[in-house]
Amino acid sequence: MLLQQIGAQSYRSGAGAKFATLIAAVRASLSGRWGDHLIRTSSILTLLAAWYIGAAYLPASVMPAPHVVARVLATEIRSFGIWNDVAITLTRIALAFSIAMSIALILGFAMGLSKTAECFFEIWIIGAITMPSLVLILTIYMVVGLNDRAAILGAALPVVPILTINIWEAIKGIDQKLIDMSKAYHAGRVRIIASVIAPQIAPALLASARFGLGLIWKMVLFVELLGRSDGVGYKIEFYYQSFNMSEVMAYALLFVLIMLFLEIVALGKLERYLFNWRPAQRRF
Amino acid sequence: MSHAASIEISNVTKTYPPRGDSAGWKALDRATFSVSPGEFVCILGPSGCGKSTLLNILSGLDDQYEGLAAIHGRSVGQGAVRRPSVGPRTAYVFQEPRLMPWRTVRANIEFALAASNFKPSEWRGRIDNCLALVELSQFSEFYPLQLSGGMQQRAAIARAFSIEPDVLLMDEPFSALDELTARRLRQQLLTIWEKFRSTVLFVTHNAFEATFLSDRILMMTKGPGGKFCDEVELSDLSRPRSYEDVRVFEKSRFVVERLVSHIGQIDVE
Repeated sequence: MLLQQIGAQSYRSGAGAKFATLIAAVRASLSGRWGDHLIRTSSILTLLAAWYIGAAYLPASVMPAPHVVARVLATEIRSFGIWNDVAITLTRIALAFSIAMSIALILGFAMGLSKTAECFFEIWIIGAITMPSLVLILTIYMVVGLNDRAAILGAALPVVPILTINIWEAIKGIDQKLIDMSKAYHAGRVRIIASVIAPQIAPALLASARFGLGLIWKMVLFVELLGRSDGVGYKIEFYYQSFNMSEVMAYALLFVLIMLFLEIVALGKLERYLFNWRPAQRRF
Repeated sequence: MSHAASIEISNVTKTYPPRGDSAGWKALDRATFSVSPGEFVCILGPSGCGKSTLLNILSGLDDQYEGLAAIHGRSVGQGAVRRPSVGPRTAYVFQEPRLMPWRTVRANIEFALAASNFKPSEWRGRIDNCLALVELSQFSEFYPLQLSGGMQQRAAIARAFSIEPDVLLMDEPFSALDELTARRLRQQLLTIWEKFRSTVLFVTHNAFEATFLSDRILMMTKGPGGKFCDEVELSDLSRPRSYEDVRVFEKSRFVVERLVSHIGQIDVE
């Protein structure tokens, strides 16, 4: 304690004093709501600048500048053609996500709660996680046929093992002491699952949902590219084949914006609502 | 006697099976005692003598034991169905508060009330009453992590009394607190207990605490194979008791001497 004080004093009195005040001033202006907005804005500007630099060094056919892509996107949005594909892809994402999450929840819960299920499914899950998604998707297309059902399954199944592992680990991490407390207070099985176990794994479930959504959307593009003739993935592949990178990026950009919206507004709100009991996070 | 007993433990033996390369451990060896309704009994013994094991058996958390463990004549664990709407209610205060951090203090107590099948219309009154007894009325809508350790433990005590338990099990509930806080909580516990008159079985390794709180102290030998070796009657110490009371202090010295004579070394407080 004393040493720290001496250290701080010598620091202040030395040449670093001015620098320290400057840092403190910057810190003060950056903390708080407006500081956050400032940092976010500069983050987006930095990204845009990096894109412009890339566009300046590469041919326009390879990397079109942001404003070119924005203009293409504006035309696409006005023409409504893009909305049809976005709607199709979003539907596939929603279906694939529900399927993947449901299977992962059932498997993860079973493996977390039952020793037998854990023993039985462990090899499946570890095996499945090492299997390349491409092989899985192609197999599903071969077995189910080149149709929408296969596309949705193909997007969902590769994500199941990783989500299962997340949920399984979350259940293994449940606080046994709280469960003992519930039992000592005569709580029944259903009440323990609903009131003691579920809230404890909610953070992991939410994290899995976010993570799963991000993976699924990439998988959906992949299955569309491989075996569908509509959707954003197909369009991106189509424009790529005709060397139209502005369109490729316009489609990708719109989708990133939609997913960002889902992620930040929908899931972020849910997170704040679910976890308002946590004390404010301290940073080191 | 056996029918009138609130808690009855008869020839209870508990052996933890060997695990991996560690040998099995006999935690309790033919432990026998009984507690009358409304009695405050402390079990005093060194660490590892099987005190907590005993509470886990009585609360139904541990049902792998030999012998008889019964509360109000109903045997606990071993396949016995525990339905609080029918049988006697037990409450448990652990060494840690064990509150659910995502629920407010009030919602934590509501959980215990719901689990014991109290009507929701009674909840508010019971909770307000119990929180007032532990002086936490203003904190009912706080989350546990916003409270100090002592306050959390008081909330846990309020939770225990909210279900008006027939039997209250306490496992060194004050050992993690600083001595001044612990003193206040002991005093508070006695005040509340006088109101409810639940049967209390309180486990501790602190001889002074045991003397200050209880009507009777049961002493246990060191593990393995913890047994009851002695008993000290304290009903002659009148209540309410005070920390300044010389008789309490004298008695606790006597308890320590007795304990040392059984265990052979001074490793208890």
